[in-house]
Amino acid sequence: MKNFQHVNPETLDQASALLTSDAGAFLIAGGIDLLGEMKSGTIRPGTLINLKALRNLSYIKFNDQDGLRIGALTTLAEIAAHPEIRKNFGALAQAAHSVATPQIRNMGTLGGNLCQRPRCWYYRHASLVCLRKGGKECLAVAGENKYNAILGGGPDFIVHPSDCAPALIALGAEVTVYGPHAPRTMELENFFLFPKENVRRENRLQPGELLTEVHVPTPSAGARTVYLKVKERGSWDFALASVAVCLLMSVTGECKDVRIVLGGVAPAPWRSPEAEKVCLGKKIDERTAIMAGKSAVADAVPLGKNDYKVELAANLVKRALLMCATTA
Amino acid sequence: MPKKIKTTVEFEGRTSEVLVDVPDIETPLWPNNAELDFVGHPVSRVDGEVRVTGAAKYTSDIILPNMLYARILRSPRPHARIMSIDTSRAEKLPGVKAVISAFNTQPIRWHQTSSLFDKTVRYVGDEVAAVAAVDEETASDALELIDVSYESLPFVTEMEEAVKSSAPKLWPGGNLVGGKPYVYERGDLEKGFAAADLVVEETFRTQTELHTCLEAHGSVVMWEGDKLTVWDSTQGVFAVRDALAAIFNLPANHVRVIKQYMGGGFGSKLEVGKYTAIAALLARRANRPVKLILMREEEQISTGNRPATIQHVKMGVKKEGTLTAIQLKAYDGNGAYPGGTPCGMPYSEMYLCPNVRTEDYMVFFNAGRSRATRAPGFVPGTFGLESMMDIIAQKLGMDPLELRKKNYVTVDQADSDRLPYSQKLLDKVYEEGAKQFGWGDRERRRHPDSSTKRIGFGMASQIWGGGGGPPSYAIVKINRDGSVDVFSGTQDLGTGTRTIIAQIVAEELGIPMTEVAVHIGDTENCPFSFLSGGSMTVASVGPAVRTAAADARLQLYEYAALSLKVKPEVLVSRGGKIFVKGAPQKSIEYKAAAKAAGNSMIIGRGLRGPNPEGYSLNTFGAHFAEVEVDTETGKVTVIRHVAGHNSGRVINPKTMANQIQGGVIQSIGYALTEERVLDSATGVPLNANMEAYKPVTSLDMPVIEPLMLTEVDEHANTLGNRGIGEPPRIAAGAAIANAVADALGVRIKELPITPDKVLAALKSTPTTKPPTKERRLERGTVTKKGGSQ
Repeated sequence: MKNFQHVNPETLDQASALLTSDAGAFLIAGGIDLLGEMKSGTIRPGTLINLKALRNLSYIKFNDQDGLRIGALTTLAEIAAHPEIRKNFGALAQAAHSVATPQIRNMGTLGGNLCQRPRCWYYRHASLVCLRKGGKECLAVAGENKYNAILGGGPDFIVHPSDCAPALIALGAEVTVYGPHAPRTMELENFFLFPKENVRRENRLQPGELLTEVHVPTPSAGARTVYLKVKERGSWDFALASVAVCLLMSVTGECKDVRIVLGGVAPAPWRSPEAEKVCLGKKIDERTAIMAGKSAVADAVPLGKNDYKVELAANLVKRALLMCATTA
Repeated sequence: MPKKIKTTVEFEGRTSEVLVDVPDIETPLWPNNAELDFVGHPVSRVDGEVRVTGAAKYTSDIILPNMLYARILRSPRPHARIMSIDTSRAEKLPGVKAVISAFNTQPIRWHQTSSLFDKTVRYVGDEVAAVAAVDEETASDALELIDVSYESLPFVTEMEEAVKSSAPKLWPGGNLVGGKPYVYERGDLEKGFAAADLVVEETFRTQTELHTCLEAHGSVVMWEGDKLTVWDSTQGVFAVRDALAAIFNLPANHVRVIKQYMGGGFGSKLEVGKYTAIAALLARRANRPVKLILMREEEQISTGNRPATIQHVKMGVKKEGTLTAIQLKAYDGNGAYPGGTPCGMPYSEMYLCPNVRTEDYMVFFNAGRSRATRAPGFVPGTFGLESMMDIIAQKLGMDPLELRKKNYVTVDQADSDRLPYSQKLLDKVYEEGAKQFGWGDRERRRHPDSSTKRIGFGMASQIWGGGGGPPSYAIVKINRDGSVDVFSGTQDLGTGTRTIIAQIVAEELGIPMTEVAVHIGDTENCPFSFLSGGSMTVASVGPAVRTAAADARLQLYEYAALSLKVKPEVLVSRGGKIFVKGAPQKSIEYKAAAKAAGNSMIIGRGLRGPNPEGYSLNTFGAHFAEVEVDTETGKVTVIRHVAGHNSGRVINPKTMANQIQGGVIQSIGYALTEERVLDSATGVPLNANMEAYKPVTSLDMPVIEPLMLTEVDEHANTLGNRGIGEPPRIAAGAAIANAVADALGVRIKELPITPDKVLAALKSTPTTKPPTKERRLERGTVTKKGGSQ
């Protein structure tokens, strides 16, 4: 790891100004992803701007009218354990709990989880120069692509590693971004970038901008949510595929509203309007759930070693829908 | 003087004859029913407290005055010639004290015909140069200032490619270790297959497994004039001493190697490492002590691995289940330098079969070198063999356990004299294991067919050496206060060797364990003991320790006899007292006897006697696994694992259970998650870290139930025990794979069994519905010849 400056900003403005003026500056919150990148040599920051110095970015506020507000520096452990989140935003608590290990959840923050960089082996290896690091091609295409994207890929095929993002998008979350200009708010769904739009970055943060808050509206009464994640080992593993579902049924038992968002299969959290359309107005029985799952992956283009994700993602959608439809 | 005889010693499947001493002090075997105070008891580790509190000093904890830190520059290319190395920029970096490479050191012979720093690099990770600097960061920075000019050579990263005649050659003699396959043969294969009612052919593949020692390899070295002291993370202090003495042309007594505490060694620490020699070269050049501890990535790419295998297996069997022929043609992925072990041995030893031929092709290719890895050869071989046994059982409509019992063997078929085993209670392990596991009524535990989760049951058998042998020595000193020092140049890899030595000495002397201090892992003050490998440690060093304690005890009796006014021959000791046999009231505290001796030092000398003639020393076991497979996600979960072992006397049930649990845990990773992945375009290892390589975590661990037979081996040695270090690794993965096949109704013939393979296998089956319970039971009566699975 190379030497770097470690700066404690006193205000958000100061942090933003530092970030704008110093091209080699990176934000550090929990440091979970950043230190991994520094140790592997993927990045070499000249300056680290320590967001933990800004005490007022860690909070969880909830009331029925306003919904849930979570400061970007709130740890994943706090989110996973929070009674109101567990009660009203089940998919988010489950997603936060599914991340890595207890130690990592104790340090890792929500902001960091949403802004983390890809896990693709080619991106993470210091001596390989992939498209995302300024190289000529996505090395996963002809290489080891078992964990890469089946949907929304091209020209590169990373998958977005966040667990919290699919859950939050299913819950209709928006994020607040602070920067050189006035703070702005956007749907989390629109926060992420696909490689077609920009192959070097995964989100729409502009130079000098920081993610400061996540706001989640209170789900409609009776809405059911779930987050399912498939890993190769019990903990400390990213999703082979994951799915977040938020389902609202009518009094007559048909799907009134639904959001279905996949993780681990695309360069950004992958909301599936196709699968949602299959469900709307229907009873969520096994047949509908299977159809929804199939339509979610209808456009999938596997790379050779990740074909299994097509079936896996479809099965997860089915399972999540049935779980939401049958839980009381 | 002890008399000298020749005896046979086995180490990881290879036997050799050695000239050894026969101890002149008798230590008769404690019988099964002996009343013992320490041996056989579940004693907690004597060094547990210092290890968990951090007081224990591991190699990386050693800090010496004026010490430098070293880092190694490794090749980024899989195969290249080094044209030049310019170290001038690195040398100018403030804090850098020494930079070495092939261009400014004398060649030191290493692997095959290459050198410590070779001018040809053969895998991504090969050593190119090294730096010593005032801190680790400076040393790392300096690596980037070394300018190396490479001329790339053609390379090959797949062993199937490497054996083709058109493949790039790593060595002038070609890409086969030794230039030809390792062949074992007995009987007549053709006759064997002709006699078979059923012939089955299959191909199995296993992955490259990494040792993943929690403590990375490394050394701290210090020169004092021409005397070299090395703190090393090693499984063999004497092996490292002798290698360094040869490299630096020093007398053995000028090299001291110390290994006190260890964070795991599974075969990749059995010999001197390049890092140790590099540290010593740097220390000599800089004239300061040097610490060189490998980074995790280096541990994973450069210190060894379990070779991947491709096993083409053909087996013939009679209708009633008797094996008639076994044929194996295997490729074992050796990597760039020799070091791997063939996988054929379980095929020739495990089951009764007159006609066997195994051929192992150890293949060179441009990847990190293979090394002995906890039960080398036997782990992949047993997966192939035991998968075949299950396939055959299914085709014959036999219960898998019955098929194994049917082919039970009581003599060592691989031995030309067909020697009987010193003790083989595998039949009892089968019986007790099956009972504990509930093998007989397992069908009742399956989920209903409607479930997306399927339960499966599998078992596998194990054979391994582990008899230990000479030479190994020990010294027991009794101090004037009655405290005892034991010295033996063995090492405790974390297995509990220290504790077991203390148990044996306390038992033999009849004193509390708290009086015994165990000194190991130091070539300067401990007598020779063998490597800690091959499951040999306790069976090798244990008897030597016992003899040394007996020798010391007899000397102490001389002083006790004077006080008690009896002859020393009538004395016995227990519970801290020395007393007349049959008259315990005539006694003296052993401490009083020691005090009576005063400064007349009592020094007991012990040695490991020869192995018994006329017996093969092997260990046996059988594992039973229960798994649940999620058919929608492909995820396999091991629910329960019964691990039965027969290794003779159990000296400490706690440390033995630890060994079994650790072996099963590693095996779950082998069966389900772990695999080294190389990028075929560049030869770069892509997942050389703990996150992406995926060793199992606590959530992946099932209930592991060690089942330990305790019967004393009456022939093996004076303790009546055999090894347990490696046996728990052998059957576990195979049993899990068999359980998965049972759950799915389709077999995955390639490890690890990851969700992608499970989903693909389920897709390939004509019906995705599992067989009903009734159909499963019917299988037991169907007998047919041939046909596909």
